[in-house]
Amino acid sequence: MTEQISEYDYQELFDNAPCGYVLVRTDGIILRANGWLTTLLGYQWGSLDGTRFRDILSMASRILYETNLAPLLTLQDHIGEVTLDLKRRDGSTTPVIMGASAVSASSDQPGTIRIAFVQAGERRLYERELASARDDAERGLQREKRDGKLREQFVAVLGHDLRNPLASIAAATRILEKEALSERGRQVVGLMKGSTSRMSGLIDNVLDFARTRLGGGIGIELRDEHALEPLIEQVVEELRAANPAREVQATYSTIGPVRCDSGRIGQLVSNLLGNALSHGDALKPVSLRAETGDDGTFRLWVVNGGSPIPLEVMETLFHPFVRGQAHGTAEGLGLGLYIAQEIAKAHGGTLTVTSTETETRFTCEIPGKAASI
Amino acid sequence: MWRFVAPAFEGDFKVVLMDHVGAGGSDISAYDSAKYASLDGYADDIVELGRELGIHDGILVGHSVSAMIGVLASIKAPELFDTLILVGPSPRYIDDTDYTGGFGASDIEELLASFADNPLAWSAAMAPAIMGNRDRPELGQELTASFCRTDPKIAQEFARATFTSDNRADLPKVKARTLILQCRDDIIAGQTVGEYVRDKIGGSRLVLLDATGHCPNLSAPDEVVRAMRAFV
Repeated sequence: MTEQISEYDYQELFDNAPCGYVLVRTDGIILRANGWLTTLLGYQWGSLDGTRFRDILSMASRILYETNLAPLLTLQDHIGEVTLDLKRRDGSTTPVIMGASAVSASSDQPGTIRIAFVQAGERRLYERELASARDDAERGLQREKRDGKLREQFVAVLGHDLRNPLASIAAATRILEKEALSERGRQVVGLMKGSTSRMSGLIDNVLDFARTRLGGGIGIELRDEHALEPLIEQVVEELRAANPAREVQATYSTIGPVRCDSGRIGQLVSNLLGNALSHGDALKPVSLRAETGDDGTFRLWVVNGGSPIPLEVMETLFHPFVRGQAHGTAEGLGLGLYIAQEIAKAHGGTLTVTSTETETRFTCEIPGKAASI
Repeated sequence: MWRFVAPAFEGDFKVVLMDHVGAGGSDISAYDSAKYASLDGYADDIVELGRELGIHDGILVGHSVSAMIGVLASIKAPELFDTLILVGPSPRYIDDTDYTGGFGASDIEELLASFADNPLAWSAAMAPAIMGNRDRPELGQELTASFCRTDPKIAQEFARATFTSDNRADLPKVKARTLILQCRDDIIAGQTVGEYVRDKIGGSRLVLLDATGHCPNLSAPDEVVRAMRAFV
């Protein structure tokens, strides 16, 4: 092998290499450029030798070379995979990929830089397409993010604006309730109360959803709550009033002080009961039970009868805007369970569900150690 | 950038080396596109750093665009530095009426466009100071590798801030005694640019080095050290 290789003419190997090869003195003068390069650039063989290397670079490549590549070559022996534009004799440019290595000066040789080029036209086009596609995608993402934020802010603002007139209607209903009314009038006022409370719950959920999505979290204020039972009972009463045809059973065991946000717990109960009334079998009662365990854990169950929740629905049950098959006109936004779970989480607790042929049961557990959080 | 020069002064001076934010070993998370859209943002950092270190009547040495950043810093806070050493400064790279910066506006546009093609080369070269740390070469490589991944965008914005700058009007405001080191055959900041800077900064001295190119601090450190020594 050695003998065969030694038969090669190295000068010829250099001159007719299938890539550009140029030897440049450290001061930037071309000592020798090979045939591939001279031909590519449209020069006569040998006419590049003795000229300045930077003159065969486009202006941008010249700046890159002078400010970055040349200094880099004094710090490290080689650089590779650099994309450059070479300037042809006629002024047009051609893209190449460059690799270079630096050889220090010795007693009989000046310091040199050996530079090799391969053409990179197709690759450059491809890379530019990729880069432009990436930029488009990034811009699209930014736009989406902006729009999304705007949408959520819109929802939040809208929610606030809806609350005020609703509060007026609720107040007016309470005033009417105290008037002497006909039987029919009392019924209508009862329906109005139910609808107002339902709408108020929907607005709360929409606002909370917007808030969690805007990064504010669900927002709770923890206090040691000593009278949770009357609070829950009040919510139960409201839902009974709004659903006079339905039976809602509520039982309570000892409820010790619970460290929680009572308003939020009321919202959670309201959402769970509302869900049970909407989706449970209308002929079967909805039952609620609340207790504090020996370890201080607060537990709350809401149970309804009816067909079990299908498996595929179970997976996304707590996701926002997932709506089951509700009966009647009670269909909501699909935010109730999502918000309820967020409330449980914000208390360091859990909200889980089991569903069988006989019952669907939501269990909320808030650990007693939440008191120390 | 200063690895071959700084050691020569460490015996007699307290030498502080800094990487601009976005380059080298700086905290990349401190980078702010708006602040660093012009050289002013970089100059503010030098002032802040100088005050933090309690520098008074110090010597500021800046190369290339950092020379101009140093000029701006010395105007903002004249008490910090009584001496400026500017290596290859240019107050404006793009030609103008009665002024030759060396580049046409289209050259600079072409340059900025070329960043997309060469993210690795540009950003790696933004970080030469961290390369080849002799005591811990693996650290240098690691930093370089991570830097390359981080941000070619910063490199491009830096180049835009640099090559579109025009600080000609600031030069006469310099009060510090100033040395300009000019290379031969420097296409980034040519000799006429060096002479322009000398003419505009009152009392400044221009020394023409034998070194060629734009980075004598790397290619001819001994000559740079001698010229600096003679001045300080």
